[in-house]
Amino acid sequence: MESWCGVTLLLQQHLKILSAGLKTYELPQDYSGVVIPEKPKLKFLNKVPNFKKAKKEMKRLRDIQGPAKGATSFTYGQYAIVAMGGGYLEWGHLEMMRLTINRQLDPSTTFATWRVSAPYKPITRKGLGQRMGGGKGAIDFYVTPVKCGRLIVEVGGRIELGEVEGVLNQVARKLPFPAKVMSKESLAAMHQEQAEKEANNQNPWTFQRIARSNMLGLRRVISPFDLHNHGRFTGKFFNPSRV
Amino acid sequence: MAATLCSRILLTKPGCLPLAQSVRHGSKAVTRHRKPMHILKQKLLAVTEYIPPKPSAAPGAYPSQTKRMEQESGLVRFLKKKVETTFEECKMLVVVQNNATNAEDMLLLRHRLHKHDIAIKFFPNQVMRSYLPSSQYRNMLPLFIGQTVMFVSKEPKVKEMLRVLRSSPQMILLGGCIENTLLSREGILNYSRLPSITTVQGELVGGLTLMTSQTVSMLQRHPAHLSALLQQYIKQNQPGGTPESTAPETTPKTEGAAV
Repeated sequence: MESWCGVTLLLQQHLKILSAGLKTYELPQDYSGVVIPEKPKLKFLNKVPNFKKAKKEMKRLRDIQGPAKGATSFTYGQYAIVAMGGGYLEWGHLEMMRLTINRQLDPSTTFATWRVSAPYKPITRKGLGQRMGGGKGAIDFYVTPVKCGRLIVEVGGRIELGEVEGVLNQVARKLPFPAKVMSKESLAAMHQEQAEKEANNQNPWTFQRIARSNMLGLRRVISPFDLHNHGRFTGKFFNPSRV
Repeated sequence: MAATLCSRILLTKPGCLPLAQSVRHGSKAVTRHRKPMHILKQKLLAVTEYIPPKPSAAPGAYPSQTKRMEQESGLVRFLKKKVETTFEECKMLVVVQNNATNAEDMLLLRHRLHKHDIAIKFFPNQVMRSYLPSSQYRNMLPLFIGQTVMFVSKEPKVKEMLRVLRSSPQMILLGGCIENTLLSREGILNYSRLPSITTVQGELVGGLTLMTSQTVSMLQRHPAHLSALLQQYIKQNQPGGTPESTAPETTPKTEGAAV
């Protein structure tokens, strides 16, 4: 009887055999403040806004130019697609995003929201083979202008980045401007890095310094837009390596 | 129509627009392609590039001045307490390297050692490395490298342990601490060859009473033998001394008579 007890004890003890190292596990994420809304999927955006009478608009390319003023930070979600350049989002792009993301969403654990509005800016096109003149063309389609640094889609819920990264990368590649998948922490880290770079730049000559004091008369070749944005933006393009 | 490439646009507010603008034809500010930049602007951008700070020494050259105290997880702390109790309770602690032991072989080994009340303990090296320097066993640190196992027991039963280890050749004895003395592999083997306490005590007693036992055996023999021995002894000590030689002759006779 004693020997049998001893044998079972040995067997139980024997089941635990350790290797030389000890693995320390990361604590799982705390999702206590996460609330999944009633309609977690991306809602349908109209191709054409509800106008009684559609008005033609000027091109106004400055809605692409420069850094974004609004929708640059997270609201409810944890991960988002951030635009790294300016461009126009058409209804086709929005539909592609909506369908891809909604397909991969698990409505019980994840939710996604739009951070861009439905297309509202009318783009006119003249018919094929028409000569110059004869007035402005007719409205062809509507677009949403997006500036650099704006959030496009926000995703959140009881998920980790790895689960969502694949889908969001897939979508980001198809957008008409360069886009990146970022989390709240990585966006903050990016801003922080930029501030650090500005602080510890060893180059005594900075774009801002030379442009503001008009050294060598370089204001001749620099636009006021460049001056304002310290040379980081050129048209709709963004250069992240500039300080 | 002679078109001018450049025209000066004078404005009241200086710096609103660049002084030299190409008016004839040119793309707008925002284009789908990257616009060719004026050479001076290119030079300006080249000159004002970011220069990172250069560290005085290579990143790995000097050790960090402030050593980061990593907070140990709860499991590590728990295992440390267990290690402490093991060290306190057990007199014999032997560190053995196990090289790819079968589960079956391990079980057999455990069973054989269990018969002699020797336990096999597994502790992660990380735990040992954090516990040992703070205790009195810090010189045991070099033993805990790689896959090691500890054989612990309350009584130092080295001979039985070695006999069991002989059957499993892949377990290599590294060293240990037996009764508060650090021993290497050879030390443990020598320790096993030591005689038991009773034999040692017996030897000691025998050594102490050697002289008296010899005298007793000598007295129990024929007195003539004893007298001859004593005469020999005197001759050796004082060569040529007749008064001393005669006096002892009478005393052995009286002793012999008394016996």
